[in-house]
Amino acid sequence: MAGAKTPNGHDVVIDAQNLRMIYPGAAGGAKGTVAVDGVTFQVRRGEIFGFLGPNGAGKTTTISILTTLLRATSGSAHIEQIDVQSDPDQVRRKLGLVFQKSTADEELTGRENMLIEAGLYGLSSREIGGHVDDLLRQMDLAASADRFVKTYSGGMRRRLELAVGMVHRPQLLFLDEPTLGLDPQGRAGFWRYIRHLRESQGLTVFMTTHYLDEADQLCDRIAVIDHGKIIALGTPRELKDSVGGDTLEVTVTPGAPDPTNLLQGMAGVSSVVRAGDTFRVKCSHGEALIPKTVLAADQAGIGIAGVTVTKPTLDEVFLQLTGHAYREEGESPHAPGDPEGAAPGPNGGRP
Amino acid sequence: MMLPAASLIKREYLRWIRAPTWVISGLMSPILYLLLFGQAFDLGKLLPAGTPASVLTHVLSGAPNYFSYFAVGMVAFASVTAAMFSGTGIIFDKQLGILQRTLSTPISRRSVFLSALTFRGMLTLIPAFLVVGFALLLAKVPGVAGLSVASGVTVLDAGQFLVAALILSVAFTALFLSFGFAAQRIESYFGVVTILQLPILLTSNAMYPVNIMPTWLQYLVGYNPISLAVNVMRMSLFGTAGYPYAAWVYLLGLLAWAILFVSLALLLASRALRTDGSPSDSALSRAIAE
Repeated sequence: MAGAKTPNGHDVVIDAQNLRMIYPGAAGGAKGTVAVDGVTFQVRRGEIFGFLGPNGAGKTTTISILTTLLRATSGSAHIEQIDVQSDPDQVRRKLGLVFQKSTADEELTGRENMLIEAGLYGLSSREIGGHVDDLLRQMDLAASADRFVKTYSGGMRRRLELAVGMVHRPQLLFLDEPTLGLDPQGRAGFWRYIRHLRESQGLTVFMTTHYLDEADQLCDRIAVIDHGKIIALGTPRELKDSVGGDTLEVTVTPGAPDPTNLLQGMAGVSSVVRAGDTFRVKCSHGEALIPKTVLAADQAGIGIAGVTVTKPTLDEVFLQLTGHAYREEGESPHAPGDPEGAAPGPNGGRP
Repeated sequence: MMLPAASLIKREYLRWIRAPTWVISGLMSPILYLLLFGQAFDLGKLLPAGTPASVLTHVLSGAPNYFSYFAVGMVAFASVTAAMFSGTGIIFDKQLGILQRTLSTPISRRSVFLSALTFRGMLTLIPAFLVVGFALLLAKVPGVAGLSVASGVTVLDAGQFLVAALILSVAFTALFLSFGFAAQRIESYFGVVTILQLPILLTSNAMYPVNIMPTWLQYLVGYNPISLAVNVMRMSLFGTAGYPYAAWVYLLGLLAWAILFVSLALLLASRALRTDGSPSDSALSRAIAE
């Protein structure tokens, strides 16, 4: 089938074409809410692909369509070349899913939750018992496997969700805001488990997150989504380079000659802005520029007081692409006094 | 393959067995009815002294005494009361995201429904059996009213009793399950159940003989599925004298109710479990959208 590989020869695991999802308005009268607005992307085998965007951007809706829990209003999606709409059962067998909320049964033990989930895939405990033990060990849950989930900590619950999602040996894992509600330490720990699974089992991971640092740290490629549309797609490096790369701050000694012309003549420099004795240099590879700058300034007799490199953040990427700052959880997506402020919905606040 | 449905039933069973308060509270009210109401209230004592026993037997459609008549009604009452909790599990599963997880697996939607119906239906039979056992036990206690059955009860009669109890339990389990599939919150579920509880029970012949009721009420009572089941059960234990129709007629009527309720439940379940249809109908997709 065409489309199984990208032009570069990559193996395509998820192929979403022009997905749109419009939730009907309340009571059928009001016009619908556009949650996903023409989303197209492909996920390659073995990569961690991140869907990054603020709350209400359409991330969970997209994951629900891809995992057959929701039927798109229009567009198409294929998982391993299987159509999610025409053959949902086959698609369900291919993928593992970790929900935003903990879905484990509190009154059951961790192991029981896994075995019952396996049963839903038609796998008996005899067939899968060893694999369950392995997963529990990998997730550091072996010691608490036979305790009730209600006694688990937040981090343990997330790890159990991951183990439950992997119980039927999927090659593709969907993670919907996997570290929501975890403290920084718990999140870093969880990333380790995901990386470990990817490395040990060659897993492809599709994840949504609204944490910029999470996307930056964990994902091979990121699609930035806002108001239901993908506004940028690329590696974290590419995205950050798109806002002009690194910033080199060169501070000269008082009374030193202006180095602007010197700096602008160097390879990779796109702009130089002066602020007192400090010159902000936009460039593609800040580190490489440091020795060159110091050497050139020395030869030109310009005294250097200090040089620092700052890397661009996804924050800046988001700001540049959308014109508004990235909203963290809990912040209102609407300007104060916005009459639509009370209405929930991904496109609230748009003109 | 049977395994997916068996897996869901196992989960329900583990949850149920680990919540003993639910188990005990489900058994309490029928037992209290037998122990207190059944002992205190005796229709036979209202008849003037010297009334022939045959008069009472006639009023009670063949039952030897009021307690025996009442105890069989309580079997149905216990089963229907237990069924009123059938829909709660589905609502919790919806709210906790467990249903959503289940739907992300390849298990068929029909298996989700059938496993709930099977397990919950079984649960409603437990108090029914307990009431029978307890009422028979009371008959052995001196000075206490108990269930006494006709001497000629055969295995076939017992089987007929069982079939009626089973169909009744399937019917009401399906009815309340369907409310569980439709309701978003436990409050609205119990709102509906509370509204229905008394009319369903009081328009039956579980507690009072139908022939002392006004005619208009007799019509209502005659078609109530509880009455239909109780008729069959009483005929099984006390004989068929005094009934205008044969037991199979009542069984057929009861079956019709069961088919109606199961169909309703199937319809509401398929709407609630639909993930590939119009999202406006799907509680699940609305929950996702929130």
